[in-house]
Amino acid sequence: MSSKINHPINGQIFPQPCPHLAEFRSRNGAKAFRALQDCLRVKPPSGRAAIRRDPDEVPRCAECGDSAGRTRLYACVRCAGVHCHAPPGPSHTAVHADSMAPGHEIAVDVDRAELFCCACRDQVYDRDFDAAVVLAQTAASTLHAPSSIARSPHPENLRKRRRVDYRPWMPDPRERVLMGSCSSPLNAAVSVSRSNDLPWGLRGLNNLGNTCFMNSVLQALLHTPPLRNYFLSDRHNRYFCQKKSGASNDATRRNGANNADARICLACDMDAMFSAVFSGDRIPYSPAKFLYSWWQHAANLASYEQQDAHEFFISMLDGIHEKVEKDRRKPQSQGNGDCCIAHRVFSGILRSDVMCMACGFTSTTYDPCVDISLDLEPNQGGSAKVASTKSNYSFNGEADFMNSSQSSGISTLMGCLDRFTRPERLGSDQKFFCQQCQVRQESLKQMSIRKLPLVSCFHIKRFEHSSVRKMSRKVDRYLQFPFSLDMAPYLSSSILRSRFGNRIFPFDGDEPDTSNELSSEFELFAVVTHTGKLDAGHYVTYLRLSNNWYKCDDAWITEVNESTVRAAQGYMMFYVQKVLYYKASEKQVAA
Amino acid sequence: MRNSINRPPTPVAEEDQDHQPTLQEIINIKLIESGEKERLKELLRERLIECGWRDEMKSLCRAFARKKGRNNVTVDDLVQVITPKGRASVPDSVKAELLQRIQTFLASASI
Repeated sequence: MSSKINHPINGQIFPQPCPHLAEFRSRNGAKAFRALQDCLRVKPPSGRAAIRRDPDEVPRCAECGDSAGRTRLYACVRCAGVHCHAPPGPSHTAVHADSMAPGHEIAVDVDRAELFCCACRDQVYDRDFDAAVVLAQTAASTLHAPSSIARSPHPENLRKRRRVDYRPWMPDPRERVLMGSCSSPLNAAVSVSRSNDLPWGLRGLNNLGNTCFMNSVLQALLHTPPLRNYFLSDRHNRYFCQKKSGASNDATRRNGANNADARICLACDMDAMFSAVFSGDRIPYSPAKFLYSWWQHAANLASYEQQDAHEFFISMLDGIHEKVEKDRRKPQSQGNGDCCIAHRVFSGILRSDVMCMACGFTSTTYDPCVDISLDLEPNQGGSAKVASTKSNYSFNGEADFMNSSQSSGISTLMGCLDRFTRPERLGSDQKFFCQQCQVRQESLKQMSIRKLPLVSCFHIKRFEHSSVRKMSRKVDRYLQFPFSLDMAPYLSSSILRSRFGNRIFPFDGDEPDTSNELSSEFELFAVVTHTGKLDAGHYVTYLRLSNNWYKCDDAWITEVNESTVRAAQGYMMFYVQKVLYYKASEKQVAA
Repeated sequence: MRNSINRPPTPVAEEDQDHQPTLQEIINIKLIESGEKERLKELLRERLIECGWRDEMKSLCRAFARKKGRNNVTVDDLVQVITPKGRASVPDSVKAELLQRIQTFLASASI
């Protein structure tokens, strides 16, 4: 794959070939690299391409005999002479190119199968050659797992595989017929009700008796882009779901004991809810069927009492996961996120390193997670004034947000994440058994994020239990959260980088430029807020759709402005990867 | 147009015969023949990505390219600038792990 990664510009704009490559091509025509293609070898573990005349050849420089080590070896594409090249030192490749008649400038790196121009001293790119390499690599990788998919040998297709342009879908005639015969169009009333310009899928949910904890989370889930796309594209169809079909089902027979249990499928109820919510109907919907199913799934929480929204969130993802797993009996762990839609969307992997303070031995564990629970930062500064302004925040809407953000004592989501990934010294009461020392030692623990999920859910621990005072209380402190969040600093790679301290980068004025990494950028799309006390309160969700904010308070949905959201007391924040955040709304952000 | 690319340059073959391989070369050949070299490379690659070394190098290269202007940078320039820093900043733990692997291999190959 190295040849692909090295393509410099998006794979779209192609660099002008250097005069030497252009000349070589015109001299040798379209078959310029034909002979080279026979020497392409793809080596097993990495699947990278190399150039070897025969598979076990050990190439060495014709001049100095160097076979490996600190130099790179290049084979002249004209005469196949292999020479070494190590930029600061002597280069036999350059000597070769100079000494021979013109036409020997282009060479190929024997270990990477990449073209190099000795005269320009630069990497060069040739469509045909690169396409041949990519093809050889794909062929080698599909050799072991025979697949019927015939890969198009068209170079354009291969090149664009990493970036897919958005193209609106239009049904072809066959699909049009299918759609006509298998579905019913949304009723005409929809277009009338849409005239008030609310985005699709905004529908209030009736409170079924202290169920705002459920409604608030459901609103967030209903507008989670990957989840919404999954259900609306009929990937889980409640009419065909294996789980619900009769008792003759194999799966049902296997766990015949919990027969009743086998019939509930939270995913089916989600599917039904998605259909109802996106039907265009604006009359508040009652998710009674869903609530009933969830009660059966989580019997200990089945009551009309108030529940914790976060607990519900975890429990219902669990419910969706469990059903699918029983069905398909897939051996995968939830960490790789392949098992079910819930984990494909929310599951990430946390890395935890525990380092022995005596010998430095580090033990690393990876744990899957569907959300990240963060402690609120302890009150910094401790100035009474700051504390009092903060507590006033609870629901005064557009309070003077700007003023307080200038005071240093403000808690931020980034601050919480910093604390979360900070090395933490495990106290003497929780010594860790070091495999190297073979005794329990004091140790340093550090968390980081190994794999980011598509949707990151942050849960703020606002419910605090003090074992000293033997009581629980709610922390009403204000927490500032950004609308766009870059997770790069909390990734394992960044955390590890800062841990290995032996790096000196005396580069003037360069900041680590991770902002180009698309996958670590996230956009906020839902905030679940809580007002009230520990034992009695109310949950409200703010949704960001087409870059407008909507307050979903059970059955009531109202448009609100940004400052209201910023001032709200966030309990759960939902961020989606920026690449999945919709263009239409992105434009409005820019405007 | 007829020049054969498949033909190995003859001088090399001749030199090879009276050339007594050094220990380093023997090890290198053993590593290649057994496929261990590819595995080591893959391991190293993985470790360097894991510890952020690759990202670090990437951002150094980006910064350099930005400073010089996108069209005035060659691979050779980059290699010259980055190589010393790259070599210096490979974490000791990674070096130790690879050394360990190579030692184990040599012991098992009984060289």
